[in-house]
Amino acid sequence: MLIDLLRTKRWLRRSLSGLSVLLLLGGLGLVGYPFATNMWQDRIQARLGDQIASPELQQAYKERKIETGDSLTRIKIPALGVDTVVVEGITPSALRAGAGHYPQTPLPCEGGNVSIAGHRTTYGRPFGNVDQLKPGDTIELTTPIGGCVYQVARDPFVVPPTELGVIEPTGERSLTLTTCHPKGSAAQRLIIRATWVKDLKSA
Amino acid sequence: MHTVQRLGAIALSALVMTAVLALPATAQSQAVATRAESFIATAAARGLDLNLFGTRVTIGQSSALVNSTPMARASGAGVALVSDTVSTSEVNAANQSATPPKACVLNLPVASLLTVELACGESRVDTNNGAPSAFGAGSVAGVDLLGTTLLQPIIDLLRSLLNALLPVVDQTVGTVTNTLTPALGGLLGGLAGNLGLGTGSNVAPVSGLVNNLLTGIERATALLDVKVGDSTASAVTSANAVTATATAAGAQIDLLPGLALGGAPLLSIIVGQARSVSIFDRGTARSTPSFDAAVARVRLGLPLAGATVTDIPIQLGAPLTLLAGTPLETTISLGAGRTVTDPSTGSVASYADGVSIQLLKGLNGGIGLELAHAETGAGLLLVALGIRRRVLAAEPARTDDRVSQ
Repeated sequence: MLIDLLRTKRWLRRSLSGLSVLLLLGGLGLVGYPFATNMWQDRIQARLGDQIASPELQQAYKERKIETGDSLTRIKIPALGVDTVVVEGITPSALRAGAGHYPQTPLPCEGGNVSIAGHRTTYGRPFGNVDQLKPGDTIELTTPIGGCVYQVARDPFVVPPTELGVIEPTGERSLTLTTCHPKGSAAQRLIIRATWVKDLKSA
Repeated sequence: MHTVQRLGAIALSALVMTAVLALPATAQSQAVATRAESFIATAAARGLDLNLFGTRVTIGQSSALVNSTPMARASGAGVALVSDTVSTSEVNAANQSATPPKACVLNLPVASLLTVELACGESRVDTNNGAPSAFGAGSVAGVDLLGTTLLQPIIDLLRSLLNALLPVVDQTVGTVTNTLTPALGGLLGGLAGNLGLGTGSNVAPVSGLVNNLLTGIERATALLDVKVGDSTASAVTSANAVTATATAAGAQIDLLPGLALGGAPLLSIIVGQARSVSIFDRGTARSTPSFDAAVARVRLGLPLAGATVTDIPIQLGAPLTLLAGTPLETTISLGAGRTVTDPSTGSVASYADGVSIQLLKGLNGGIGLELAHAETGAGLLLVALGIRRRVLAAEPARTDDRVSQ
C-alpha cells in the first residue's frame, strides 16, 4: 500500500527522499562529531603547547594572573600514554582543550586538593581510560615554573553528578581528576584521587 | 515640471533614507537609556577545613551573592552542615530586607571527635533602593579535640619514639657532626635549612631537648588546640561599584599544648588573614580582582639554636616537614593567591589561600587542616553561569556533552 502511495504521490516521494537525506546527514554528524572534536582539540593543543613554553605565560604565572583558557599545566599519565596540556577553567569553551583546572582549587603542585576535569569521549578524550588507573600509578604535572609527581592513592570511584565535595580540601596535598561516567553520559562522575609524591626541578 | 518632479522624488527619497537610518538609532539610544543594568558578585570564605582521621568538618563558612535583578543571598555557618549553626537569608525584589537571628550553639559535639565551645552563623541581606547587599559570617570560639581517646595512643607513640632516639642523641653529645644524624634527620632535617643549621652544627642541646620532651609528655592533657578567626563574606552595591569581599581571619593551631618547656605547645602554627576582593565598576562594566594571601609561621617550643622558642616563617613553594619518616610526620605548606580573568566575558575571580597542614600522617591517615580560604567573583549577569560555576559550582564539570544525564 505504501509503495502504491509512493507511486502515485509525488510529494510523498520527495518527502521520503528529504527525510533520507536528513537521516543520512544526522548519522554522519553523530559518527563524525567525536572525530571533529578531536581534530578541534588537536589544533587547540598545538597552540597551548607553544603557549605553555612562552616567557609571557611564565611571567603571568609567576605574577599569579591567570586567564581562563590559558595553558596551566601539562599532565602526563605514563600508564595510559596521556600527555596533554590542561587549561585554566572548566567552562564548556575552556574544556574544548580536553582538560581544565577547577579555578577554585589550588594551582598545580601547590598545597591542597588540585582538581582537573577532562573529557572522556570527545575533544581528544584525554581522560578516556582513567578508569584503568591503579593505586601506585603516577601522574606528572609540569607547570610553567616547575612540576611535581602524584601517585594514584586508591582505585577510581564513581560519585553522583552533584557531589562537589570531591574537589574540596582533602587535608593533604592531593590531585583529583574528574570525568563523566559512564562513557558517553554525564549521569555520574568518575573520580581519581592521587597524593603528592615529590616536586620536580623548578624552571 | 519634470524638474520639479525629479526634485520632489529626490527629497522624498532623502526623507525616507533619513527615517530608515534615524529610527533604529533613536530606538537604540532609547534602549540604551532604559536598558537594565546587569551585574553579579559573589564572595565565599572558609575558616578551617578539618580532616580528622578521615572525618571531614568545615568550621567557619560564609557566602554572599548579589545580582542586578535585584537579588541578594547570604549564608553563614559556625559548623557547616550543622543546621543549628547555619543562618541563611535571601530577598528577590527591590526594597526588601532580611536579618534572621544569629544561629548559635554552645558546646557542640561534632562527629564524636571534637567539641566546639561556641559556633555561630549569621546572615543579612537587603535590596534598599534597588542596591542589593548581602553579608554572611561564620564564627567559632574554641575547638577541642576529645583528647582521651585520641591523646593516649599518640602520647605512647611519641614516648616510644623519643626513647628510641635517646641512645642516638647520647652518642652525638659532645661531638660536632658533619651532618645531622639520620635518626634525628626527621626531627631536625626540615628545620635545618630554616634555622641555618648547616654542616658542623653542634647537636648537643638535642639531648636535653629529648629529655625535656619526655618529661613534658607526662604533663600533656590535650592533643590539639585550635583557634579559628571569623569567616566573613559580603557583597555590597554602592553608587559606583559592586564590591565582593571574602575574609578568613586567620588561626592558630597548637599541637600538644603544654608539652614543651614552660608549658608551651610542642608546635604552634600561626596563620594570618586571607582576603579576596572583586570589584565590578558600574560605570565601565569592568571588573577588577585582588587578593591578600595569608602569611604563616611555625613556633616550636623547643630550645634549638640557643632560643627557648623558635619562630620559623613558612615560604611559598617550600613546605616544611617535621618528624619525617615517623608516624608523627607533619607537613606545613603555605598557600597563595591568584586572580583569574575570563577574556571572553570580562568576568573575574580572585582566590586567597592560607595554609595546608598535615599533622601526624602516620596515624590512621592523620589530621589534615586547610586554614583560611577566601574567594570572590564579579562580572556581568549575562555570564552569571560562568561565575557561579567558578565560585559556587554546583557540580563537578560536565565533560561529556553527547548525552545529557
